[in-house]
Amino acid sequence: MKTKNEPLVKLTTLKTRWFALLCGLICSVPCLGQLTQNRETGNMLKLTFNNVVAGKPLALRQDYTNSFGETYSVIKFRYYITQIQMIDSSNMSVQFFPDDYFLIDAGDSSTRTLNIPLSLKRLSYLSFLVGVDSVANVSGTQQGALDPANGMFWAWNTGYVMAKLQGISPAAKSPAHGFTFDVGGFKPGENAARKIEFVLNPTTKKSKAIHSIVFNVDVDKWFNGTHPIKLAEHPGCHEPGALAMQLADNYQTMFSIESTAK
Amino acid sequence: MVTICCLMVLLSGYLLCLSFTGPKAPATPVTFVVPAGWPQPLYDFKQNPLTTQGIALGRKLFYDGRLSKDGNFACAACHQQFAAFATYDHNVSHGFNNSFTRRNAPGLFNLAWQKDFMWDGGINHLDVQPLAPITDTLEMAENIDTVLNKLRADTAYVRMFSAAFGDEKINTLRMTKALSQFMLTMVSANSKYDRVMRGEDSFNLPQRLGYEIFQKKCVACHAPPLFTDLTYRNTGLSVDPYLNDMGRMRITRKPEDSLKFKVPSLRNVVLTFPYGHDGRFYNLMDVFEHYRGGVVAGSTTDALVKNKIPLSNFEIGQLKAFMYTLTDSVFLKDPVFSPPGYENRTPLAPGEHLHRYQY
Ligand code: HEC
Ligand code: HEC
Repeated sequence: MKTKNEPLVKLTTLKTRWFALLCGLICSVPCLGQLTQNRETGNMLKLTFNNVVAGKPLALRQDYTNSFGETYSVIKFRYYITQIQMIDSSNMSVQFFPDDYFLIDAGDSSTRTLNIPLSLKRLSYLSFLVGVDSVANVSGTQQGALDPANGMFWAWNTGYVMAKLQGISPAAKSPAHGFTFDVGGFKPGENAARKIEFVLNPTTKKSKAIHSIVFNVDVDKWFNGTHPIKLAEHPGCHEPGALAMQLADNYQTMFSIESTAK
Repeated sequence: MVTICCLMVLLSGYLLCLSFTGPKAPATPVTFVVPAGWPQPLYDFKQNPLTTQGIALGRKLFYDGRLSKDGNFACAACHQQFAAFATYDHNVSHGFNNSFTRRNAPGLFNLAWQKDFMWDGGINHLDVQPLAPITDTLEMAENIDTVLNKLRADTAYVRMFSAAFGDEKINTLRMTKALSQFMLTMVSANSKYDRVMRGEDSFNLPQRLGYEIFQKKCVACHAPPLFTDLTYRNTGLSVDPYLNDMGRMRITRKPEDSLKFKVPSLRNVVLTFPYGHDGRFYNLMDVFEHYRGGVVAGSTTDALVKNKIPLSNFEIGQLKAFMYTLTDSVFLKDPVFSPPGYENRTPLAPGEHLHRYQY
């Protein structure tokens, strides 16, 4: 099905013992060619997502102030990273992972690093989607990172929450001053998934390819990345539509490269 | 040395493989039978092939109160077989903690031909449909992880998941696919109307006249064989100020979808009263009165009903006679849909109130 995060599922569907034996053997070699979240193996590109506010690591339940002078603290911050694509422009070779879905959760540091098998000689371009492609939104129940039990799924109006920011702000005119931005929508015109692209500095001939990229993911951009969104005016987003699209435009700007390493 | 290494690897591989596969018989495939003359179903059975074991598991889940927070509200508490899996005699259904649902529970049958689910079509796949009632605070009020953990703690479920899906893993995907399998088998195509169409029976006079009126005045929306064209329409029901239900517009956010609701199937309609998306019509007479007099024409009201549907008392009598021919008594009593373990008993009679039944 849709995720490759769970290699063991596939094994169990194989009927014969011999097949299983073979697979057992393969499995004793640490999961070759498999994308993993927070596990280091082989010739890999390591992507690290540092959630930050104004350049400093995000601390949950700590007060920050947005550009409108509104104080807020973050309780939950989660987003899907999917459709990772890498290009070596010197020979136009491409690596694309359309079926791998990762859920980054600020409350779980183990979700912050992704390891991707790297076969390109040089990495000159990288892109990914924040959110979940529309096919996965219309294909019934999914598992792994997309399991509806992860709480990133709207049951009454089918679809994934692509990214979620939830917290408390005295500016929010809502019960207990809570604010919740559940941003989703996959239909044409209200698709909240956003593609993030980076052209990487092509390395000189003798240097090695990039093997690690650290991103800063700035929460504060949710309020002012492209559109000004004041907590006093918008304490919540719970459905696809205009506000979700604006929030999506904002979170599209929250990624920047902190550093790369060979 | 090399050989020993090889042997070690082989052994570890073999041990691993033992932990994955017991000597297990594969699940028994079940063929989905499309009634003669019906269109092909929309459900993609390739993604969820029916098996005896999968259907049995879905049936157990459907009747299990543990899918709800307080153990009282199985799917079957609101979807009762003798009412064609609607809630018998309730405008809206009861849910957790004495709450009421906001809409009338529809009958469940012929789901394989439906693209979208719920009165507003908000759910786009049968497999994800159960997640709505399970997590809705007005219905079963439970969270998915808690439900899964309750199932994992029950060895009967561990065995049944294993039989249906090849191993003991219990997750959302498998739970919902099993529920789909059971619900997909609920095909209702054996009413008197069907027998007449197959040439095995014939209408009496009022039924035949009713059928003719139906063909003229109703069939544009309630199209056979499903008795719905699965579109969303505003038939001029006034807005209930308490529920303030905008219907399809809640999903599409388009003003032109305001107050539109899915055309309900009229199969087994005699048993699925009360009627309408909020159950405001207590009997068929109320529905006919609405069509001939009560239609509130607004900007999105369907052209077919905007100027009301003229119906004489005589015609209403005939139409009613025809409606009775849509009752599929085989479906309503089929033991394969009854609570597991109840195969040899008669289903609960409509008079027996189901809310607190534990199966
Ligand atoms: C508390 C009562 C209640 C419970 C419990 C309940 N349902 Fe429902 N069901 C409803 C109501 C009410 C609707 C219509 C809701 C709407 O349209 O907004 C519905 C709609 C449905 C539909 C859509 C039918 C259609 O034609 O669109 C399906 C399928 C369904 N339920 C299956 C289930 C399953 C499976 C369960 C158990 C996991 C379940 N229900 C539990 C009340 C309930
Ligand atoms: C314009 C399309 C349309 C036409 C024509 C139409 N209906 Fe309906 N019918 C609907 C819709 C839509 C509903 C659900 C309305 C709601 O609850 O908002 C409905 C509901 C019903 C119900 C209630 C079913 C239930 O389970 O709640 C009955 C009975 C019914 N119609 C019978 C008829 C008959 C008989 C005729 C012909 C005289 C007819 N309809 C003509 C669209 C139509």
